[in-house]
Amino acid sequence: MERESQSRVEQLVHEALALADEQRAEYLERHCTGDKHLRAEVESLLAFEKDAQSFMEASALQVAAIALETEDRTFQEAVESGHSSIGPYQLLRKIGEGGMGQVWLAQQSAPLQRQVALKLVRWGMYDATLLHRFQAERQSLAVMDHPYIAKVFEAGATAEGQPYFVMEYVAGVPITDYCDEKKLKIRKRLEVFIKVCEGVQHAHQKAIIHRDLKPANILVVEVDGKPTPRIIDFGLAKAIGTDMAGGPLHTRVGSFVGTPGYMSPEQSDPTAEDIDTRTDVYSLGVVLYVLLTGSLPFDTNEWKNKPVDEVLRRLREEDPVRPSTKVSTDRENSSAAAEARGTEPKHLVSTLRSDLDWIAMKAVEKDRGCRYGTPSELAADIRRYLNQEPVTARPARFSYRVQKYVRRHRYSVAVAGVFIAVLIAFAAMQNIQLRKTRRERDRADRITEFMTGVFKVSDPFERVGSKVTAQELLDKASKDIDTGLAKDPELQSRMMQVMGRAYMNLGLYSQAQSLFQRGIKVSGSALGQEHRNTLRIMSELGWTLFEEGRLSEAEGLDRRLLDTERRVLGPEDEETLATMGNLAVTLCEEDRCSEATKLAREQFDMKRRLFGSEDFYTLAAMDNLALMLARSNQFAEAEKLERETLDIQLRVFGRENLGTIGSMTDMADIERNMGRDEEALKLYGEALDLEQRVLGPDQPETADTRYSLACILARRGQAEEALSALRQAIDHGLQPRMDLEIEKEPYFNSLHSDPRFAVLVAHAKARAAAQKAN
Amino acid sequence: MGAPSVHEVTQLLRAWSAGDQDALDKLTPLVYRELHRTAQRYMARQQPDHTLQTTALVNEVYLRLVAFKEVSWADRAHFLAVCAQLMRRILTDWARGQQYQKRGKGARHVALDEALILSPKRSPDLVALDEALKALAEADLRKSQVVELRFYGGLSVEETAGVLKVSPETVMRDWKLAKLWLLREMRGGKPVGA
Repeated sequence: MERESQSRVEQLVHEALALADEQRAEYLERHCTGDKHLRAEVESLLAFEKDAQSFMEASALQVAAIALETEDRTFQEAVESGHSSIGPYQLLRKIGEGGMGQVWLAQQSAPLQRQVALKLVRWGMYDATLLHRFQAERQSLAVMDHPYIAKVFEAGATAEGQPYFVMEYVAGVPITDYCDEKKLKIRKRLEVFIKVCEGVQHAHQKAIIHRDLKPANILVVEVDGKPTPRIIDFGLAKAIGTDMAGGPLHTRVGSFVGTPGYMSPEQSDPTAEDIDTRTDVYSLGVVLYVLLTGSLPFDTNEWKNKPVDEVLRRLREEDPVRPSTKVSTDRENSSAAAEARGTEPKHLVSTLRSDLDWIAMKAVEKDRGCRYGTPSELAADIRRYLNQEPVTARPARFSYRVQKYVRRHRYSVAVAGVFIAVLIAFAAMQNIQLRKTRRERDRADRITEFMTGVFKVSDPFERVGSKVTAQELLDKASKDIDTGLAKDPELQSRMMQVMGRAYMNLGLYSQAQSLFQRGIKVSGSALGQEHRNTLRIMSELGWTLFEEGRLSEAEGLDRRLLDTERRVLGPEDEETLATMGNLAVTLCEEDRCSEATKLAREQFDMKRRLFGSEDFYTLAAMDNLALMLARSNQFAEAEKLERETLDIQLRVFGRENLGTIGSMTDMADIERNMGRDEEALKLYGEALDLEQRVLGPDQPETADTRYSLACILARRGQAEEALSALRQAIDHGLQPRMDLEIEKEPYFNSLHSDPRFAVLVAHAKARAAAQKAN
Repeated sequence: MGAPSVHEVTQLLRAWSAGDQDALDKLTPLVYRELHRTAQRYMARQQPDHTLQTTALVNEVYLRLVAFKEVSWADRAHFLAVCAQLMRRILTDWARGQQYQKRGKGARHVALDEALILSPKRSPDLVALDEALKALAEADLRKSQVVELRFYGGLSVEETAGVLKVSPETVMRDWKLAKLWLLREMRGGKPVGA
């Protein structure tokens, strides 16, 4: 009965709504047929027709947001109409606004007259426990007393229950704006920045973490004409930041929508509960990065249209590019950035390169264990840079093995007997190519294999040891190849690859690259762009780019290559794995250590699973991973892995094997970087012994080991022995690149006062110049 | 506690769509957390034009929580329905908190009458609306669902029709009638004979 009447009511309302007002009375009269209850019911609903038009047209979410906004506005209107005060504070004008609330300049009347900054926490952005949390922090805030930190005086709530904080009013501008407006040079910027570090250090000593360091919170005022930073909002983030939804981070995500980029990776990780002082070191690192380059390490514009979790993931996993790379690649902004630093883009890039790159990259390391431990360590390294002393952020020198071809060094001296053989084979092949039976094609393939083998002898692991320069032979061959093998593009492209690699071994990168590019073209049109053969030559091209130091190009190429290989060859293919390794090495050289080690670890795990742990390539991957870990200062794990590699190699290959010796020197490098000189000396000594026996005394590896020995001896103050080892290294095969490094090698600092050292440096430079001339 | 895994949420969603009610119990808190977080962020965004799109929000949560390639359209409809329900809870709780804060301190007491005035210019009171909607559910469950899906969940007429398995015309009709009913309920206009 009731349902029936309800549906009757609805029916009538529905139909009445379709009628014009004047027709309704008559309609209802007709259909209600004297049922007063029914008619009253229908009319009571129709009465809301007008209101209903706009009712619930905005979504519930919008309604809530509008309510928030209205609260804000009502308050603001009240203030603007004057006479608005909160407790003893008369609000004067609004000086800032952010996701968390508004900041007002206010006049305090009691107990003393002064101007203060009053921060009102926005409606809806706090809960009942906020003030309790602040009270808990207050004790520690009170003991903070530092010229570079603005004081927080008190916290309270308005009559409406809206919490606020009262802070020292700082009439300053954000540090980045200040430096740009004054066109401060890098040196001056660093001097101001060091002070910021001192302020943060002071707070850390009082066990207070800022958690939200960014230029807007680091203001600069001039005291006696000198720029002086004042950090505001110390301790507030913790009080405000704990949210109502879940972990401490979630409202941060909200606020971070406004000013992204300064938040540390661990803050962006919902599973990370413990935030420590190193989170501030990260944010300081980002501020430093911006002071140096004018850009954030990550392009936050790119983030705007991405889902937040994607942004957070990238923040946690991707490493930024170095400051110098940022300036040299970001042409749009670099001239303005350089101008604001009183210089030109080119000079800015060279100022940033090396030391400042390393310092900034170490400060913004993803893994906080690899960052500077404290703001003062960061400041100390910057001081070292300013005093032209070696910085601690300087990455340790490690050489990686190419995943596929296991090449440890480039060679200035080549392997000539080999090339004669190549030419003979080459001629033979040209003949064979004229006739095209299947059988002979097979033979041609075998010859290529043979030649590849011949060239492989130039790899240290298979090398025999003769040496003649042979660039001319190669030059001739590379001219001949275009016409000579035109009829068999597959073979032609493989020859181009082989010869390109020979060029690379000679350090002749542009010739190598041009051959590889030709090879890619030929192979691409003959076999397909995504054919294994084409991809392999691309991988070679990537490696020359790396060797030449064109890291970002190498990275780009490796990434594209990896995508293609994963798709075409599958994720477990040897080529795919090799590219992963190459990309990891490139990333590591770019100081993007977390990304690099992640990739290297992934690749190592796959190789071990697929090929077993005694496999040659698995061992190379393990060795590389260890070196990368060492480079990002994760020595304990690096040492363990390298030890494991060495043990397996000793067992599988024996002592007199170049792979084993390589791991031995790598192990020694790690020990040296851990400060275990005794251990390192022993390992270097043993490796040197073996190298002399297996390779001969004049090889780059042998020279390298002598050089490393010299480093340790110098550090231990054994000047005599150090100089002697260094001299032998220079005279017996040290590469020209290293010759030029000697002067800058921090390990040799103790030798600088020794006149014999200067003589050696001059000697090395002369040798390098002579080698270049050859 | 970390974010729930996509796999976990997807499995629960599929189980529930297949009729497993326990799965819903496990699913709800996961979705609630994510929605709450996202809603808060949306509200903090301070957009002067109020272009807050519930649809975008729910979709964001959906994409974040569910491996959408692995679930059917019907699963998605189920998910949207849960979201709508949860958004109602989140926003109502939020509005209740706001009122409580104001009343609790006394100074700016918002009179109940004032809070219930619903002029076109003013936003509906979310707390009162929630109460009215409960009453509507008693009288006519489907109409209350239409309101929940559209107003809280941001679903279009067609999507709502799909979730409730009725025609879009029926949804429109329910929607119009529900609005009248809710307004009368909130203004205290007693239906005769009720």
